[in-house]
Amino acid sequence: MDMEDKNDILLKQLFEQAAQQQIEDNGFTERVMMNLPEVKESRVRCYTRLWTMFCVVIAILIFWLISGWDMIEGMMTGGKHMLINTIEVFMLTAPTTEIEINPWTVVLLLGFVLVFLPYQTFRKLSATL
Amino acid sequence: MASIGDIALVTQVAVFHNKQAFDQLVRKYQSPVRRFFLNQTLGDEQLSDDLAQETFIKAYVNITKFRGMSSFSTWLMRIAYNVFYDQVRSKHQTDDIEDSTAAMRQTASTGDSNMKMDIHAAMALLKPDERTCITLQLIDGYPIDEISKITGIAENTVKSHLKRGKDKMANYLRENGYGG
Repeated sequence: MDMEDKNDILLKQLFEQAAQQQIEDNGFTERVMMNLPEVKESRVRCYTRLWTMFCVVIAILIFWLISGWDMIEGMMTGGKHMLINTIEVFMLTAPTTEIEINPWTVVLLLGFVLVFLPYQTFRKLSATL
Repeated sequence: MASIGDIALVTQVAVFHNKQAFDQLVRKYQSPVRRFFLNQTLGDEQLSDDLAQETFIKAYVNITKFRGMSSFSTWLMRIAYNVFYDQVRSKHQTDDIEDSTAAMRQTASTGDSNMKMDIHAAMALLKPDERTCITLQLIDGYPIDEISKITGIAENTVKSHLKRGKDKMANYLRENGYGG
């Protein structure tokens, strides 16, 4: 047996105990978890905030440039007149007009009421439970 | 290669920022990482825990860089190795380690028969790279190719460090009554 093998055996014997040593956690993991940085999340949050601010500024600029308030006022007035006209026309013609009912419209409406609405309700309920 | 359990945890941390998953990884690997630092700093528990904490924080921040080409423990030990050598490079920490080396030598010379203290005293004789290679092989059980991956040192140089380190330690330990 040469010197190198003897050294190996001696050191393996001495290090055997050290190799099996397990260090108890003793709150180390908690300390690490408490000191973890929020680098990525805060960066994402920062970008989201900047993007929202950018969109708000652009929207205000466009609104101002195209005289948005006048447009809204015009739409409201126009919409009011249109609604009144439609009601007037309907009230005058309804008693004498035959309304044709498309069977596909009925199927679609029934499908919406019987399938889609219960599905949505079920989804919301399962998400809350 | 990385184990499937570790990959699943790493994926959860990287994709969903799942801190619970990272908590499990820290619990699993805290012992070998802290033991590695404890041996590098020759038993300085406070410094070891600080360096281990820094290692896990760096692992968390850079977790998306883990590609699964080696085991998670090898990747983590590579970070630990870099953290330790960053500390060694700074003047202040080098002084600390030199102080603890001197303290270990002093402890050994005052006749403390504790085997652990003797091992640390023997390790204090080694150069930092020799000490790292010795502890990674004899305590953490890594083969030479893994030690090479962790330290970034060529395999032949790792073998040289191991040979020189073992000779120095064995001579010191024999002089102090070990090995007949």
